[in-house]
Amino acid sequence: MLADFINPYHLQIASFILINILLAISVYVPLSSGQLSLGSAGFMGVGAYTSALLTIHFDLPIFVGVLVGAAVAGCLGIIIGIPSLRLSGVYLAIATLGLGEVIRVIFVNWESLTKGSIGLTGIPQMGRELLKLARNVGIEPAMFGLRNNQFVYLMVFVILLILVIGTIWFVFRQQNSRIGRSFSSIQMDEKAAESMGINITYFKVLSFSQGAFLAGLAGALFAHVMGYISPSDFSYHRAVEILIFTVFGGSEVIIGSIFGAIFLTLIPEVLRFVSEYRYIIYGIMLVILMAVRPQGILDIHLLSKFKRLKRSKGGVR
Amino acid sequence: MLLEQFINGMTLGSIYAIVALGFTLVFGVLGIINMAHGEIFMVGAFVGVMTTGVLGWPLWLAFVASIVVTSILGYLLETFTLRPLRGKRGVSHLAPLISTIGVSILLENLSHHLFGAGNKPFRTEFAEMSIEIGSLTIYIVQIVIFVISIILMIGLSIWLSKTKAGKALRATAENLETASILGVDTKKIITLTVIIASAMGGIAGILVGMAFNSVSPQMGLAIGLKGLAIIILGGMGNVKGAMVGGLILGLSETFLVAYGDSGYRDAIAFIMIIVILLLRPQGIFGSKIAEGR
Repeated sequence: MLADFINPYHLQIASFILINILLAISVYVPLSSGQLSLGSAGFMGVGAYTSALLTIHFDLPIFVGVLVGAAVAGCLGIIIGIPSLRLSGVYLAIATLGLGEVIRVIFVNWESLTKGSIGLTGIPQMGRELLKLARNVGIEPAMFGLRNNQFVYLMVFVILLILVIGTIWFVFRQQNSRIGRSFSSIQMDEKAAESMGINITYFKVLSFSQGAFLAGLAGALFAHVMGYISPSDFSYHRAVEILIFTVFGGSEVIIGSIFGAIFLTLIPEVLRFVSEYRYIIYGIMLVILMAVRPQGILDIHLLSKFKRLKRSKGGVR
Repeated sequence: MLLEQFINGMTLGSIYAIVALGFTLVFGVLGIINMAHGEIFMVGAFVGVMTTGVLGWPLWLAFVASIVVTSILGYLLETFTLRPLRGKRGVSHLAPLISTIGVSILLENLSHHLFGAGNKPFRTEFAEMSIEIGSLTIYIVQIVIFVISIILMIGLSIWLSKTKAGKALRATAENLETASILGVDTKKIITLTVIIASAMGGIAGILVGMAFNSVSPQMGLAIGLKGLAIIILGGMGNVKGAMVGGLILGLSETFLVAYGDSGYRDAIAFIMIIVILLLRPQGIFGSKIAEGR
């Protein structure tokens, strides 16, 4: 009965959407303190390669690999974040863009470790490991009337969903805390924030490395969902794609990043004939968006309008 | 061997310098980074390939065609992406950056569709010709590239410092409002700047096509990012800095390939910018870092 509803293909797209949401948030968090990072693809690559290499060569469980991958990316974020404090705006964007390219070139050239541009294969896949685990405790997919591959994709989706909801919850809670308010005051006016006694260094590095951590987490998950990674997965184009998720959806509110990631991952899947021209459309869209609505589709005004609309409807009933 | 590498480096460096000049002019006047410059340059290279290879035009006519096409692109870029953002309230300083990234994606993928993904050879009648001085081999192409670049750089410097339009451009770069009060038609100057920068990109495109004998839709990104690295190295908006920075990058890349690991060639530019941003964020020739950019 349940089996009729579960389509592995749909579940896989849903999993990609969830990973893209994580990536979009990884751009959103630094941006919420006024830092535009174009290095998210690089951090994603660091997370993916770290986790993949650890699980391949040392037979570590996947969740350890993912955690270490994200942590390594986060540490790299701190290391890069501290000196980058001297840079702002456009300079930071270019420095992080440069960082991403350096990371990619290292992946291509460090052949003894990364297999160069061919990429890493045979990365333990999350779904299969979960199936093995489930069998060990005596749970069979057939008990729920599912085929093996349905069970695998469902489990991956559920795990990712839990992680994404956890992340959104964390970022959302953080926004309404002292830390979040410090971020937004730094974004508004750095000097004013400093004179109010906010430790700019600490909070900027914090938001930057949180972004790096999230990108690393998404990269590590990506590696274990795909089972195969290569340096071209983490190129400049990926960085721009991630940036578009956030900018398109709305860079002022977290809902915007989520919406952007969902919408822009779905569109090429739904409209097959569009996918060939996807990047051309992306390009035109960015230009129009910046001219007409630079804050993205969703912003605070629109959201509060929705809220009011809902409330008035409720009143009528 | 050493001298030969030096000449190779200077040739490469002078091309990089021309690319970087396009970035630096726009940054100097508008205070924005034109991420689409690399792709305009790539379109210029393709115009060169198409006119010389398919239509069989002579090289000088290819230069003219490339300049015309890239100038039009520059005009369109200014009218449709940069002007709508200027002076609008509530537009963050990152908006032009993102908007020009949009143009770059558009141009790259358009040429991908039009010309295919692969490399296109760039044929010139004197590609194989060379002069030998003792043990030294110099290709005619290298001399042509170097001479054109030097002429272009000297021409630009004279134009900027001596002519009325050049002075107006520098005044606008210094302070837009003051220049406009003093009677400079800043709107016209800005358009002119973007057009000149794009046309220089077009020339650089043909020069790169000649130097590497291949043109592909992806080259805009690769060379564009290097141009970006150079203007940071030399100081944002600084014309002299772009020229010197270009030569430094060209020489260091050539020597790395000759005596070190060629795989890391593309990384030098970025390692350089990361180092320079950390040690001296205003660049080699920059005086001070601009606020709020």
